[in-house]
Amino acid sequence: MEIIKVEHLKKEFTYYKKAGGLKGSFQNLFHREALVKEAVKDVSFSVEKGEIIGLLGPNGAGKTTTLKMLSGILYPTAGNVDIDGFVPWERKNEFKRRFSIVMGQKNQLWWDLPACDSFYLNKCIYDVDDMEYKKTVEELAELLDVKDLMNVQVRRLSLGERMKMEILAALIHKPEILFLDEPTIGLDIISQQKIRDFLHFYNEQKKTTIILTSHYMRDIEALCSRAVIINQGQLVYDGQLEDINHLMGDKKLLTIKCNANADPELLSAYGKVREIKGSEVVLEVSKGKLKETASGILANLPVEDFNVTEVPLEESIALIFQKEVAS
Amino acid sequence: MNPYRCVFQMGMEKSLEYRANFFLSLLSTVFQIIMQVFLWNYLYGNSDAGAVTGYTYSQIMVYTLLAAMVSKLVSTGFEYEVNEDIKNGGLNKYLVRPVHYMSYRYFSFLGEKIPQLMLLLLIAAALVTFSVLRLGLVLSIGRILVFLAALVLGITLNFFLFYCVALISFWLTDVNLMFGTVSVVIVVISGGIFPMDIFGEKFAFVMGLLPFGYTTQFPSNIINGRFDTVQIATGLLCQLFWIVLLFFAGKVMWKRGLHRFAAVGG
Repeated sequence: MEIIKVEHLKKEFTYYKKAGGLKGSFQNLFHREALVKEAVKDVSFSVEKGEIIGLLGPNGAGKTTTLKMLSGILYPTAGNVDIDGFVPWERKNEFKRRFSIVMGQKNQLWWDLPACDSFYLNKCIYDVDDMEYKKTVEELAELLDVKDLMNVQVRRLSLGERMKMEILAALIHKPEILFLDEPTIGLDIISQQKIRDFLHFYNEQKKTTIILTSHYMRDIEALCSRAVIINQGQLVYDGQLEDINHLMGDKKLLTIKCNANADPELLSAYGKVREIKGSEVVLEVSKGKLKETASGILANLPVEDFNVTEVPLEESIALIFQKEVAS
Repeated sequence: MNPYRCVFQMGMEKSLEYRANFFLSLLSTVFQIIMQVFLWNYLYGNSDAGAVTGYTYSQIMVYTLLAAMVSKLVSTGFEYEVNEDIKNGGLNKYLVRPVHYMSYRYFSFLGEKIPQLMLLLLIAAALVTFSVLRLGLVLSIGRILVFLAALVLGITLNFFLFYCVALISFWLTDVNLMFGTVSVVIVVISGGIFPMDIFGEKFAFVMGLLPFGYTTQFPSNIINGRFDTVQIATGLLCQLFWIVLLFFAGKVMWKRGLHRFAAVGG
């Protein structure tokens, strides 16, 4: 069942141009030239109930703007969004009770008070039953491993701890839909991993629909099976993550370690040499020719070690980004 | 629990966290009082100041002591937070939850006021007792009760006044510095330093038409015994009138501002 449906969403911002230096500032006092930036242009996609999708794109692609429109913070310039029968920017309370948004760079907790106070406030705001609330907080605190930090002022928490608290606060009312805007930004690898594991588990348990944006491919690979990629405000890819490599030409990487005496240049006959690290050479080969190329190399060269890998997802996505910029 | 009661309690908690900050801010009030006591002593000692100002020496002393306290009690500070919210998108967290921003701010503000109120009322009580014993102030229970009512209304009125000022942030992004100026001007014309009616009747009449005097000067002068029953009743009604008016002004500004916010991005 489709729970989120986005159709031809568009958002334009007006801003003013200012020439550099003091002279520009003075000119702006009298005459300002208005410019229009299309942050999001014609984006359409839909999300099934219980699905986790990754919303990807380089900085300034329009990810956050899209999420803001989906959560009703911004009015779109044009287009429609239907979330479980609601139009987000009408900001109906009934709608607000169904979702939550966590922004990695903003906080919703009271800075000077312990996180548990903010949790309780959310319980009151969303009118969650006492027993229900207790159970939820205990369960989530256990999962996120923050039980001992509940009574510490938020300002004394580390970034990772605070992020976990933010996520916990957002889940008190058991939202059906969760928007996560870079929830792992600035966190160390272990904290990232923990938050990732938690989200994975939570989605499996509660069947919460999640839209996630992140710059860490690992987040996306671990959590999402589907990705929606936007670049410069336009949708450039909507499909399974595993198909992205396919789209980018189905390349495999062969890492070959040769005997010290062999000339790495010899390998260029078998495919595109990507990298030479001492005696190790990374070769790009199309998937169909993999078998043939590999046996050729093994037969003709003094190979010591041999390894086949996928092209990293990051690379394929970077290619998608670049391709769109070029066109 | 009602969410706004919860916000109220959290406001109290927050203000107790920052008690040292509050005590230090009281120091500035003490200096203000000392400077004025010297000034008025000099004026009343060397000239017929009473005839000019319309306040007897003991009245002006009581006023100086009390208005400093009342001005502190009604003072706000949330305008900076509102400005931050609007400028840096902190507003988002209120927009996505089923809460009313104005009510949220109001109850958080009241909660933050309560612990301060307790302490300041104690100090005010000491100052009033001092005034009764040394300055010949005549006081009745009724007057104290009316004063407390006027004080609560004054706090509410000042909240809505500054709420409207704070919402200007929707149109002018960086108004932080303006708040400093605006609040000094408002404190002065509210009678927070000296009574505004010392400038004569015409001036007093104009001030009576504006909301500012009802936050500080009006409650202070109730204690001072400068009003009869009718004047007190009128004053209380004016407080209510301005509260209602500014409440709706705030609502309209919020609605328009929010439309702008949602259009240009948070």
